[in-house]
Amino acid sequence: MTTAVRDIILPAEWRDFWALTKPRVMSLVVFTALCGLLAAPGTINPVIAFTAILCIALGAGACGALNQYYEADVDAKMARTARRPLPAGRMDRESALQFGIALAAFSVGIMGVAVNWLSAGLLAFSIFFYSVVYTIWLKPNTPQNIVIGGAAGAFPPVIGWAAVTGDVTLLPVLLFAIIFLWTPPHFWALALFMKTDYGAAGIPMLPNVSGQKVTRNQIFAYSFPMAAAAILPFFLAETGWVYGVASVFLNAIFLILAFRVWKNEALDAAHMKPEKQLFAFSILYLFLLFALFAFDRMLIA
Amino acid sequence: MTQPDHAPYTVDETRIIRKRQAARSRVMGVALVGLCILFFLITVVKVGVWG
Repeated sequence: MTTAVRDIILPAEWRDFWALTKPRVMSLVVFTALCGLLAAPGTINPVIAFTAILCIALGAGACGALNQYYEADVDAKMARTARRPLPAGRMDRESALQFGIALAAFSVGIMGVAVNWLSAGLLAFSIFFYSVVYTIWLKPNTPQNIVIGGAAGAFPPVIGWAAVTGDVTLLPVLLFAIIFLWTPPHFWALALFMKTDYGAAGIPMLPNVSGQKVTRNQIFAYSFPMAAAAILPFFLAETGWVYGVASVFLNAIFLILAFRVWKNEALDAAHMKPEKQLFAFSILYLFLLFALFAFDRMLIA
Repeated sequence: MTQPDHAPYTVDETRIIRKRQAARSRVMGVALVGLCILFFLITVVKVGVWG
C-alpha cells in the first residue's frame, strides 16, 4: 500500500482508500437499500438490519475500488475523474485491487453468515456485474453500456428486501425496474453535457457514438416506462395515497424535464440547461421516490 | 548488502510517513473495534441470548 511521489515512496492516506469507495455513489446505494429493507413485509432485528446495510455499503465500496483500479488510465484523461487517488498518483493500482477484493469478500461473507445467503448471493452477483460485466465488458465496448450496466445499481433495494424476507417477490422487482429504467435518462443527460470528456477518454457513450439527437430521443423514450414502473406499485395496491400522489407528481416533473431535453437542439454544453436540470432533478427524484415508497409502506404496515 | 531502491528519507518525509501511518493505524483500530462490537452483537442475536 505505497505510492511513488517524486523519487520517494509514501504510503497512501486513509482518505484515499475512502475516496476509492466512491462515497457519493455509496450514499445513494445505501439509501435505496435501506428503503427496500424498510418497505419489506415482516420484521428484522435492528442489529441484522444494520449489518445488511453495512454489507451493502461495503459491497458498493468494493465496486468503486475495483472500477477505479481497472479505469485508472481512463480516469486520468477526464477532468471529472483525474483527481482520484490512482490517476493523481497518490496510490498504486495493486493496493486498490487488494482493497476492492477484500471489501467484496468481506461484505458477501458477513452478509451470508449474519443475514441470509440469498441476499449474499445477490450482493455477490451485483458486485460481479458492476466490476466485470459493466466496467470491463460493457463500458468500453458499447453505447448501451449504462442501459445493461444499470442493473448493477438496481440491485440494492432488492438485496435490502431479501435481507428481511429471504425471498424476492413482484414489488422488489418493480423497485429494480424503476432504477434500471431511471439509469439511462440520468446518465445520458450527464453524457450530453460531458460529451467532450467522455470522447477524450474514448468511452463510447451514446452521444459520442449515435449523436445528440438520438440520445435525446432515447432519454425521452426511457422516461415513459420509468414513470409507469414508478406509479405501478400504487395501482397494484401495494402502496397508499401518499406514494400514489407523490409518484404522479414527481414523474410529471421528470417527464416535463425530459420533454425539454428532447426539444433542445443545443450542441455545446454551455446551452444544455435542460440536460443539467434533468440530471440534477433525477437524483432528487430517486431519493424522494424511494423515501416516500418506504414511508408509505411503513404507514400501511 | 541490498541497497534501498529509493533515496533515504529526509526528516520532513519521515515525518509525513509517520503521520500517515499513524492516521491509518487509528482508522484501522476504530474499524476493528467496531467490527468486534458488531460481531458480538450478531452472535448475541443469532444465539438468542436476549430471547
